[in-house]
Formats: sequence, structure tokens, C-alpha cells
Amino acid sequence: MQAHPSYPALAHILPKYPRAAGSVFQAYNDILHVQNWTDVQVVDLEGVSRAAITGKKPKTDVTLHVIPCSLSETLSFGWLTTTFTLLSDPPEIFLAITSDDASIVYYKLSRGIVKPQV
Amino acid sequence: MSSTRPSGPPLHLRVANKKAYVWDVEDIAAIRAKHRLCGVFTGTLPHLSQQNLFLGVPMVLLPEEVVLLVENESAVLIDDPKAHLEPSVAELQRWSAQENELAQLRLAQLAAAAKDSPAMSDEAVRKRKERELKRKAAAEAKAAAEAASSESAETHSSIFKPPEEVAAPPAPVDVQYTVVIPASSTPFEWYNDSACAYTTIQSAKDAGIWEYPSDLHERAKCGVFRGLWEQGMFMGGGIKFGGDYLVYPGDPLRYHAHFSASVLDSPTSALTPMEIVAHGRLGTVTKKSHLLCGWDDEKKDVSYLSIEWAGFG
Repeated sequence: MQAHPSYPALAHILPKYPRAAGSVFQAYNDILHVQNWTDVQVVDLEGVSRAAITGKKPKTDVTLHVIPCSLSETLSFGWLTTTFTLLSDPPEIFLAITSDDASIVYYKLSRGIVKPQV
Repeated sequence: MSSTRPSGPPLHLRVANKKAYVWDVEDIAAIRAKHRLCGVFTGTLPHLSQQNLFLGVPMVLLPEEVVLLVENESAVLIDDPKAHLEPSVAELQRWSAQENELAQLRLAQLAAAAKDSPAMSDEAVRKRKERELKRKAAAEAKAAAEAASSESAETHSSIFKPPEEVAAPPAPVDVQYTVVIPASSTPFEWYNDSACAYTTIQSAKDAGIWEYPSDLHERAKCGVFRGLWEQGMFMGGGIKFGGDYLVYPGDPLRYHAHFSASVLDSPTSALTPMEIVAHGRLGTVTKKSHLLCGWDDEKKDVSYLSIEWAGFG
């Protein structure tokens, strides 16, 4: 992992949260290199023992928030609301769910009752 | 929502075996239109009890709906078995007389309907008679032939013999008629629910006729149900989409459900990412969002998170 070109950007996070290191690393690489987001930043969220990733989708100008987690974790409603609070309450966050086989899926979580897109 | 406070007398929900039934069609209409609750129809026909496409009274209310109505002082709970008092002989005699009268009335209606029903044309009657005669003649010829061929061998095995020719029954008259199935008990003279009406959930619990909500999960469901209802939503059972409720933005006859909802008992109750994936993906392919409804039993407060597929990754 240390030899990976992405490692320097995450070096201050991964050793700090070893349990979340795998999913943070995987989500960061996916966002940066597969989804091709721009302005990708890593935000330390001590309250949920991991880092969030912020950035903008290609050709857009809205900063989005991605919070990585592993498929094998157990979360809670409180954990999700804490995450919103720690990210200064954006209208939505993207939960990046990672699994051991390196697959990843993103789900959008919005605060409140938000109608589905038509 | 003070505007939803009751204006008329409270509805009477008939509780039997810890389920609340509504028998009165007017009450059902009020529950739907005024109180924005759907309930579930469970009544079926005695001789077609398996068909469940067309159900009618009684309506069974979800326990959350009952709690909401009673807490809003829009309904009271009736201990239905207790409301049936011991009838006196005079009452039973009056009831019996009435039943007889009704039966006579129905017979009279039936006869009148038979008379009024458009008679078959003479031509049709003649043709039918001809057909019947032909069939009869054929059957007789066949029977005679069989009898002749096996007369010696089988004269004594009478139980296998076709029954003696019976005169053909008169052609049935195709008349539509209704059968009245007595349902509600309220017309009975010996039905009196004034002494067994409970205006609060607690009093009904103390009387042993009601239990819901009895634990954290049920309190959470009641709280979430009320929270969504106060936002103007209609709720139906959520089993078809793997949640606790289907959430409609208006009457389900007019709107598709926009959400399926699942109830989380507390901010710390477990939620696995797999649940988020499953709910989120199912919701997205059915053009719904999934609502995670988090109940906080200390604050008596519900908050919501909507899940949708991100659209990438």
C-alpha cells in the first residue's frame, strides 16, 4: 500500500484508522481514477474514525462528499447522522461500500424525506 | 396538527382478540378521507373465503393506526365481546320476528324479480324443449339397449343401475339476488358498548384488551407512523418492498408510493451496509426512494434519511 502512488495523499489518515484504511484507500482510488472526480480532497473525520473524500464529478462544480465503509461493518442511524454533522450538514452524502474483492458501490443518502428522481 | 383533532364523536373501534375492526361503512369512509388511514379490508364471502381480490368489511386497522386514532381522540376502543350483553327473551323474540319478516320480504323480492325478469322468447322455449326431448329419447334408447344386452347378468346389481328417470327439473330461472350476511352487532338490542369503551391506550391496556405498543420496537413503529402521517403521507403495509411501510404522498388510489420505509428502533440499532444496498437498489428500480426512519425514544422524535443509488460506481 505504501508503494502505491495514492499513498502520500492518504499517509496522514491510513495509519490513524487502521480498521477503515482498506475502504478509505479503495474509495479514494475509485473516486480519483475510475470516476475521474476533480478537486479530490481527504477530510479527517475523527468522530467516525475514518476520512471522508470530497470532490466534484467531472464537468460539474458541486462539491460532493463520499464516506467509505466496508460491507462487513455494522453501522447505525446515529452513525450516519453523525457523519452528516461532521461534514457540516450537506444535503446528501455518498456512502461508498467496499468489499474484499475490490468491488465498490455508492449509495446516496439524503437528509429528510427526499422524493425520488422522476 | 390541531386541525386533525376530532370534530364529531369519536369512532368506535371494535376490539376482539387484540385486533381493532371497523364495521360501519361510514366510519371506514371517515377513516380514509378524514383521518387519512387505509386499514385493510378482510371481509370475504363465506362460500368463497379463499378469494382475496374483492374484500369488504370488516376493516382491520394496523395497530399503529389504532394508536394514532386513539391518541388523537378520534376513536375509542370497544371491548367488543363485552358489549354483547345477555339478551332477554323478549329481545330475542323481537329479533326472531324481525328476521322472519326480513326472510319473507326477501322471498317476496325474489318472486317479484323472477316475474319481472325478461321471459325467454317463445321460440327459445320451444327450441329448448326440443333439445331436451331429443336428449331424453337418446338416453332412453341407450338405456334400453344396455338393459337388453346385460339383462340376464346384471338384473340384481341394482346399485350400479342408473337412477330411475326423474322428471326433468323445471328450467332454472336466472335471477340475480343478494344474500344479506349479518355482520355488525350494533343493531342488536342487547349490544351496548357504553360500559366498555376505552378512550386511551393505557386504559385499554389496563383492561387487558389491547397491548400495542408494548416494547421499544412497537413504540418506534408508532412514532414513525405518526411522524410520516403528520407530514401528510398515507401508509400501507411494506411487505411487498421489504420494508415496514409503503409511503404514499396522498391517497393510494390516486398516487403511487414514493417511498418504502423501514423503522430503526434507536440511533444505535444495527444497520448493515448490505441493508442499505438492498433497500436502495430495490427502491431505485421501482422508482422509489427508501426511507430509513430513525426513532429516538428519549426525545420521542423521528428523523429520516432517504436512500437512492448514487448513479455511478
